[in-house]
Amino acid sequence: MKKQNFFLRNKQFTIFLILACLIILAAIFAPFITHGIDPTEGNLKDAIMPPSGEHIFGTDKLGRDIFARVIYGARTSLTATFSLVMLIFFVGGMLGIIAGYFGGIVDTVIMRIADMMLAFPGLVLALAVAGVMGANMRNAVIAIALVSWTKYARLSRSLVLKIRNRDYVSAAIVTGSKTPYMIWRYMIPNAIPTLIITAATDIGGMMLELAALSFLGFGAVPPTPEWGLMLSEGRAYMQSAPWLMIFPGLAIFVTVVVFNMLGDSVRDILDPKNE
Amino acid sequence: MKMKKALALGLSTAMAAGMLAGCGSSDSSSASSAAAETAAESTEAAAETTASGDEKVLNFGCQMYSDGNIDPLHDTNGAWNLMRYGIGECLFKFDDSMNPQPWLAEDATTEDNITWVVQLKEGIKFSDGCDMTATKVAQSLQTMLDRGPDGSSTPERFLPYETEITADDDANTVTIVLPSANFNLKGNLCYPVAAIVDVDDTEDYMSGTIGTGPYMVENFEDQVGYTMVANENYYEEVPYDKVEIIYMGDASAKAMALQSGQVDLVENITNVSDLQKLEEDENYTVDIASGVRCGFAWMNFNGVLGNDTLRQAILMGIDYQTICESNTIGGLYTAGFSVLPSTLDYGYDNLTNPYEYDPEGAAKLLDDADIVDTDGDGIRELDGENINLTAVSYENRLLNDFMDAQTQYLTDLGIGITPSYGSSDDQWSSLVAGEYDFNQNNWTTVGNGDPTEYLSNWYSKAASNYCGYESEDYDKAYEALMEESDLEKRAELIQEMQQILVDDAAVLVDGYYNSSMISSNKVANAHIHTADYYWITTEITPAE
Repeated sequence: MKKQNFFLRNKQFTIFLILACLIILAAIFAPFITHGIDPTEGNLKDAIMPPSGEHIFGTDKLGRDIFARVIYGARTSLTATFSLVMLIFFVGGMLGIIAGYFGGIVDTVIMRIADMMLAFPGLVLALAVAGVMGANMRNAVIAIALVSWTKYARLSRSLVLKIRNRDYVSAAIVTGSKTPYMIWRYMIPNAIPTLIITAATDIGGMMLELAALSFLGFGAVPPTPEWGLMLSEGRAYMQSAPWLMIFPGLAIFVTVVVFNMLGDSVRDILDPKNE
Repeated sequence: MKMKKALALGLSTAMAAGMLAGCGSSDSSSASSAAAETAAESTEAAAETTASGDEKVLNFGCQMYSDGNIDPLHDTNGAWNLMRYGIGECLFKFDDSMNPQPWLAEDATTEDNITWVVQLKEGIKFSDGCDMTATKVAQSLQTMLDRGPDGSSTPERFLPYETEITADDDANTVTIVLPSANFNLKGNLCYPVAAIVDVDDTEDYMSGTIGTGPYMVENFEDQVGYTMVANENYYEEVPYDKVEIIYMGDASAKAMALQSGQVDLVENITNVSDLQKLEEDENYTVDIASGVRCGFAWMNFNGVLGNDTLRQAILMGIDYQTICESNTIGGLYTAGFSVLPSTLDYGYDNLTNPYEYDPEGAAKLLDDADIVDTDGDGIRELDGENINLTAVSYENRLLNDFMDAQTQYLTDLGIGITPSYGSSDDQWSSLVAGEYDFNQNNWTTVGNGDPTEYLSNWYSKAASNYCGYESEDYDKAYEALMEESDLEKRAELIQEMQQILVDDAAVLVDGYYNSSMISSNKVANAHIHTADYYWITTEITPAE
């Protein structure tokens, strides 16, 4: 039997991969899609206009085009989310691997810090951190990273511990393999697939957390086009000008769903049970 | 039977004696508290009785200021709360033209603006049943001065600490001898800090101050609000049996609570679109008054904005008319360029604005002064550095929306802005510390009916000059204003001072705030007054 093409075999993955690529492309080619409209420039005379031919998503309270702001918002949201996920993936993953591999005092110190972080509700601690550091997108990423790395650390530590005392690992050490080589050659490859799955499924959640911080005024600052901030700005007009909330809300909804489904598909593909 | 009757008679006599003693002197605190308890019990019983019948209840949604305290001397908001909730009253009150009118006093007379004789109205009682005698009034005013230094209400602005106050119970007058002449004492006595309080019997100033207002506190729940009942001893008919004051900070929440029927009356929905929607709905009445508040941003002369050309260009680069008339602000602010509202009688129409909106003119002004963008990053440079102004604002009466709009205009002009939106505490501390370029406020301009105190904000020797503005002409005019009592000459001086500030491009004026009161069709006659110290009044009645 002829082996089916990978993409055809994994239809759900393919569909959501295409959609995710479209979202990323929209962010990259924002100036073309919006015909060069500046998302931060508006005319107060056109403030709070309903969707029309001129402004297909309407305008916000400063007369800025909401369509342009939603499209440019993808840049802010995606950049911040990917930076955040990469940060916690590398930092959390490495700390967990180090804790698991070395054990003893190193393990105790790293994991107790992680336990301390887990003792607080994530978003509340992130709010406190972002509040102290000052409101901007970079600080929001750092704040959420500070409370989210623990998951990756605990995961990678447990994966490393699973193989740490295996005979082949001991054999490699006995035959003179150096520590960096051991980590690079044996520990990281063992932890990476699970971490990737976790990261892929985390993208949606992290995007929501960043939007939540911006919504509460601890993330993006005006006039940055950011979906959470746009929701916050539109909240006051929820009854009389709902388009101020509907379009950024839809943007968050669609993007989170696409990345969550993509993450689920990646998990299904990498799951050994499906082999 | 005879024994029982005698016992009952004895008890009631003792109780009556206790009540009388409670209103007499501060030595009888135990007797007075017993009387207060009895009064409270009877009020509760009355409330329970009427609750089963047609109890008239007003549910009022409002912003919580200073944790809802009603101590007129703890802080200014406490004093305002006391008056806004209808618990406390002053000797005089402002009408909608900001002229003092009799309230608890009939009149106040003077020959030299130093010795004032205040004639009190007859038959006024505090909500605990005690008579408002001249002695009680003098005690209240004296306590205001004695307790003043403990709080932040700064009552000495209205009645200096050296003032001598004496009472004549027979003539029902209070004589006030000021250390220096003040033609506006009646106006000062309108200010909520000077509310007349039963000093002897008030035990809990924070949430149980006893005043002469139409309502009195039955219960206070921290962060939630007050339950108030009608003051049975009020000198007029009190329209509601009970008033529930429910705290809600968010403008949309206020609008939605009104629409869902949770509240019948709210103050100041600062959200134009919600307000317009309610205006169009015949089930609601929106009352908007051109108030005496001015929204403005301080410009810090000790920073980059010390540069005259830059400030002038900034004022020319911002279209304040369009901002105030936009869908975002529209109706809630009246556009203007001076620090005193155009509705006040201080010659706004005679002022000239040399910095009307002219973006090309603004750009040319900057170009001519060599404040240009040399590195092509869209931001002009001053002394070789990008202009990046820190703009501090907070969520109050659309100030953030003004800052956003102004940022947009200034960015177009090539002036960089870093907005900093925080709490009112953040805004205040940055103002006091001088850590800002723009600092947004919304201030009452004629708190005691006269703008002298407000205008001291730009007087170089005043502690309240937080922006470092200095002008010899302004200082001279201000000092003359302090001495002048002739109203016409004062108005001329005030006009002159406004023009100096305008010419010096000293202040970025947002506009003049219009307060609002919105009621459902269950409520009649809800009116917002020019001086926004009066929210719950006896004017507000159940709809027929």
